[in-house]
Amino acid sequence: MAPLVLCLAAPQFVVAQTSLKDKRFFEEKVRPLLARHCLGCHNNQTKMSGLSLESRESALLGGGRGAAVVPGEPGRSLLIQALHRTGELQMPPAGPLQSREVAVLTRWVQAGAPWGVEAGEDTQRAGPSHWAFQPPRQVDPPPVKDEAWGRSPIDRFVLARLEANRMSPSPEADRRTLIRRVSLDLIGLPPTPREIAEFLADTRPGAYERLVNRLLDSPHYGERWGRHWLDIARYADSNGYSSDGNRPMWKYRDWVINALNQDMPFDRFVTEQLAGDLLPDPTRDQLVATGFHRNTMVNEEGGIDFEQYRVEAVVDRVSTTGEAFLGLTVGCARCHDHKFDPISQKDFYRLYAFFNNIDELGGEVSVEQKNQRKLDPMLEFGNPEDFARREAIRQQRSILEKELKAYQVKLEATLADWEEGLPGEERASIAPQIRESLEILPQRRNIYQRRVLDLFFFAQDPAWQARREGLRALQEAEPTLDAALIMRELPEPRTAYIHLAGDFTRRGETVRPGTPAVLPGPRDSRNLNRLDLARWLVSPDHPLTARVTVNRMWQRYFGLGLVETEADFGSQGTPPSHPRLLDWLASEFVRRDWSVKAMHRLIVTSATYRQSSEARPEVSEADPGNRLLARQNRLRLEAEIIRDAALATSGLLVSTLGGPSVFPPQPEGSGQFTQVNRKWTADEGPNRYRRGMYTFFRRSAAFPGLTTFDAPNAQSTETRRNRSNTPLQALTLLNDQTQTEFSRAFARITVARGGSTRSQRIRYAFERTLARLPDAEEEGRLQSFLTHMRDDFGTRPLETHQVTGEAAGSDQAPSLASWVAASRVLLNLDEFITRP
Amino acid sequence: MQPKDLENRALHAITRRHFFEQCGVGLGKTALTTLFVGDSLFGSATDGPAIQKLHVAPTARNVIYLFMAGGPSQFELWEPKPDLQKLNGQPIPPSWMQGKRFAFMESFAKDPPRMLGVNRTFKRYGQSGAWVSDCLPHTAGVVDDLSFVQSVHTDNFNHAPAKVMMNTGTPIFGHPSMGSWISYGIGSESKDLPGFVVLQSGRRGPRGGALNWSSGFLPTAHQGVPFRSGGDPILNMSSPAGFRPAQQQATIDAILDLNRMRLRQVGDPEISTRISAYEMAHRMQASGPELIDFSTEPEATLEMYGAEPGAKSFANNCILARRLVERGVRFVQLYHTDWDHHGGAGADLDKGLDKVCLEVDRPIAALIRDLKQRGLLNETLVVWGGEFGRTPMGEVRDTIGRNHHIDAFTMWFAGGGTKPGQTIGKTDEIGFSPVEDGVHVHDVQATILHLLGIDHTRLTFKFRGRDARLTDVGGKVITKLLA
Repeated sequence: MAPLVLCLAAPQFVVAQTSLKDKRFFEEKVRPLLARHCLGCHNNQTKMSGLSLESRESALLGGGRGAAVVPGEPGRSLLIQALHRTGELQMPPAGPLQSREVAVLTRWVQAGAPWGVEAGEDTQRAGPSHWAFQPPRQVDPPPVKDEAWGRSPIDRFVLARLEANRMSPSPEADRRTLIRRVSLDLIGLPPTPREIAEFLADTRPGAYERLVNRLLDSPHYGERWGRHWLDIARYADSNGYSSDGNRPMWKYRDWVINALNQDMPFDRFVTEQLAGDLLPDPTRDQLVATGFHRNTMVNEEGGIDFEQYRVEAVVDRVSTTGEAFLGLTVGCARCHDHKFDPISQKDFYRLYAFFNNIDELGGEVSVEQKNQRKLDPMLEFGNPEDFARREAIRQQRSILEKELKAYQVKLEATLADWEEGLPGEERASIAPQIRESLEILPQRRNIYQRRVLDLFFFAQDPAWQARREGLRALQEAEPTLDAALIMRELPEPRTAYIHLAGDFTRRGETVRPGTPAVLPGPRDSRNLNRLDLARWLVSPDHPLTARVTVNRMWQRYFGLGLVETEADFGSQGTPPSHPRLLDWLASEFVRRDWSVKAMHRLIVTSATYRQSSEARPEVSEADPGNRLLARQNRLRLEAEIIRDAALATSGLLVSTLGGPSVFPPQPEGSGQFTQVNRKWTADEGPNRYRRGMYTFFRRSAAFPGLTTFDAPNAQSTETRRNRSNTPLQALTLLNDQTQTEFSRAFARITVARGGSTRSQRIRYAFERTLARLPDAEEEGRLQSFLTHMRDDFGTRPLETHQVTGEAAGSDQAPSLASWVAASRVLLNLDEFITRP
Repeated sequence: MQPKDLENRALHAITRRHFFEQCGVGLGKTALTTLFVGDSLFGSATDGPAIQKLHVAPTARNVIYLFMAGGPSQFELWEPKPDLQKLNGQPIPPSWMQGKRFAFMESFAKDPPRMLGVNRTFKRYGQSGAWVSDCLPHTAGVVDDLSFVQSVHTDNFNHAPAKVMMNTGTPIFGHPSMGSWISYGIGSESKDLPGFVVLQSGRRGPRGGALNWSSGFLPTAHQGVPFRSGGDPILNMSSPAGFRPAQQQATIDAILDLNRMRLRQVGDPEISTRISAYEMAHRMQASGPELIDFSTEPEATLEMYGAEPGAKSFANNCILARRLVERGVRFVQLYHTDWDHHGGAGADLDKGLDKVCLEVDRPIAALIRDLKQRGLLNETLVVWGGEFGRTPMGEVRDTIGRNHHIDAFTMWFAGGGTKPGQTIGKTDEIGFSPVEDGVHVHDVQATILHLLGIDHTRLTFKFRGRDARLTDVGGKVITKLLA
């Protein structure tokens, strides 16, 4: 949790009067050096040795050893002394700076250490020299003292930092922890007892690497990492906003799973999603891929201005593109130039122009066309007969609608006659609000009064009723075809404008598609379209895309990215903890032809990843946030994976890949709080036990089991999930109906396969749940719990029946009930919902 | 860190809370000496609230927000407009409409909108002489406790965005709602209930659903928790069939013991948070049935509200709201739907409006009286209003109604340090726009925070590179509203 009070209490900087020339010198020469070599440790968050070099004030103030910079006196400045590496303090730990670089910093201190633009200074923006706008450097892993520890270049980067801070890494986690960790990370399912046994028995060298390969080859890998991507894609099965109707989106979800399973190179993965429709002769799959930017919401509310919500969708595409690929909060520039990063409002609308030409529900669409065009453009899947039948019904409907209108005109002409012939007592029986209009002379009735009478009169006519009914029936008879929301350009692009103050009704200057001015642009910047944008994003020398992507991978494995602010690589973001490692990983990613699986393999086989996650007091003391990675982190599992792990442990998991979204049981009344109280009929049969990622996601009434555990709400892109820890989570795991089903199934498996003694069964169930065996104390606690519950259920046949779902008569019933209870305990353990 | 330290830390969080509760911190000059910034114990036992010391002296401890979803008509309820009556059926001069945007605007091309007169009788009530129509006879009886603002305006003319605007300060979906901001800022005083509770009645839920009480980018622990007035008040509050309280207790004890063993093995403080969460979940389970058991309410109280035990109604929700604030819940939001009177089946300004007024009128008056009798009104702010109001022009559908109107509509406030018996703001002769004391939605939000002791510009959270806040870049406190 960000310590808000600190932000509130931050003192106002007194900005030294600095000439423009000095500012430029600092920004262009000095800041890049500080950022590259110093800020990783000496930033406002990490503050290694108490020193931050993020502002002039803090540099002058210094850390535990005193002032780092004494303006005008390089000889007395610790910073310069450390760079010369003559004394005890030698910085940076990764190796000496070039003498040219030391000279720059010395000259800077000599000149009085003028600062550039201070954080918080309003006019200030990171310049093009900001570290993240420079292409990743080709770096070699640094030298380390303990050559024996590392397994991969990654480890040398990490170890060098630890050694510089006189810290040592943690030992490798034991094999049981490793298989549970890497299985949960790569496929999102815990290892089975058999898989554990095989891994433990594999004493040949390379056992772990073989395990990793097996997991990367599993089709469940695509599900696990696909779900991470779907957070970014703001995937949902409904339209959002008000009535939040269903939309056919699951084919896009399946495309993501398949693409990852095939290890589609990331550059192609991005290109097909952003611009698959603009590729030459796109395949159906490439069209489905463009669903990425059709995950924007569609407002179905009556009385809206379609253009307003089309604009919102385009804006969302820009913000998402910014955070997902550029790692920049470009959305900030919607209303005005970005305050901190060099993104102008014009840059924003130039990006906007790329996404502005989709043939979707917008200002050009008439109200009458709304229902038919609501979700356009769509790709439909069906055979010719289906299409023909639907077309016939649509034509018939339009005929009947015209007929009804004509009939109403005819009927209206007879209104006067009806009025005249209306007997007194019948007139008196008419509701007063209607009678009131009736009593006004026809020619004096206003529009409201005429309407009231028309409708009352029509409703008396059986033929009119029948026509209305016929139309309704036809509407229901229209067949629904499988479909996918996709991108399709308009033949003529819309003109894009700067929206003054972000208000689409206030048009400023017109703009053409273009990339942010601060970044190196595409080679040919004329007549750019989405395909050019995509190709620019994944060009090998792009400074951001590869860094942002590998950083996010790192974040999934360690809890935080090397850049902690994974969606903000701009000047307000935190500098990378290991800048060289980040650049090395980014370069490797491109060098390995954007193979995502290769990067996974690289990270999970490193010694850094394989460390134990047990707390070490001396580490917590020195590095409370564990930014230097002297150990692994324990991470609470994501919402879907908690469900998946419980399904797998209890043997209920139906591991079918893909297909339409499913409806597992949810607590009664979950959908009660939305505009349309949509029915949620729980699936029976296999779909009841599918992985969490296939659960139908309704934006306005998301599945409670997911949102309680921090699944994103799919309103906008999410690059990181919260890991909250709340009583509602406890209630869900303790009492939800699905949990009851899981613990019953788990109990039966334990009793059937776990051996004949209670001790054997405890060990079996424990291993299924946690991939390890209980120690004596843990086993003892479960023993006493089982005894207590069995004795208790032994005296309560009704409860025994309720708990087991089986007839209570048998001798075994109380024992089975006690195992249901024990299963419930195991499925509720903190360790069970935590990646070790 | 040693496990003992971890346990001590959790214990410390509790003792700290205990300290504040017992000792008070002398924040206000009023009787609210025990008003403290509560630990958000419901959220996470080790995360304290964001604001350690309130920015201004608070006058309210809790909020009950009566959200009239759909946009109630200020013309039929609160604002008699004789000129509108005279102009009934006349087209509105185009100059009024210049630059304005409305819902269903496309229909204006066919037929320009026309003024619609009001079919209701108005009278002045109480010492304050506030106008109320015959729709709300019970509320008319408590007007001296209310403070009306007739000049509220908002930015969005469609339901879902306007609701989200009213709740989160922006029409962009996915931002934290007011209750979440407040829970995040000052926590809750309840040990065993969430700090932000949502109740719902009417034919359906509000448009936008859970986004109206979402915690957005704030920690999930601060999201509004929907309570039901019948059945399980919170999802999964009942133990599974066959697990009676003793067995549930035994189960939770086993979970806690095994978690403690793991805490000793790996030393991760998250485990001690998890232990606290299970303990609180258990307390919630124990307190839930008592919370919704209305049998302890005197017959006269039920009668006053028009409540029937076990029913799903606005009246029951009003009683539940009172019981929730009595138990320290910080922010209770009641949605009552069906105020969208465009004309159409059940949505006319006659019977349709009567029906929904009947559902809320008596319970609201009872709530005000009940809070007052119990001495709770001076520390509980009650807010009444919809996401927007309705147009002076009529709309023709199956029946006659009014369109959405965002330029001027009425809200009222009671208790919690507001000045009772007044009407703030004035609109023009047909009620189209404010002519005096216009109040923007952000001003309403700034004022609610102010009454709770929070400066709206200082309750912020870093999001997408900005210090985001409830009032976005606007908001000024409605000083006339303060007592």
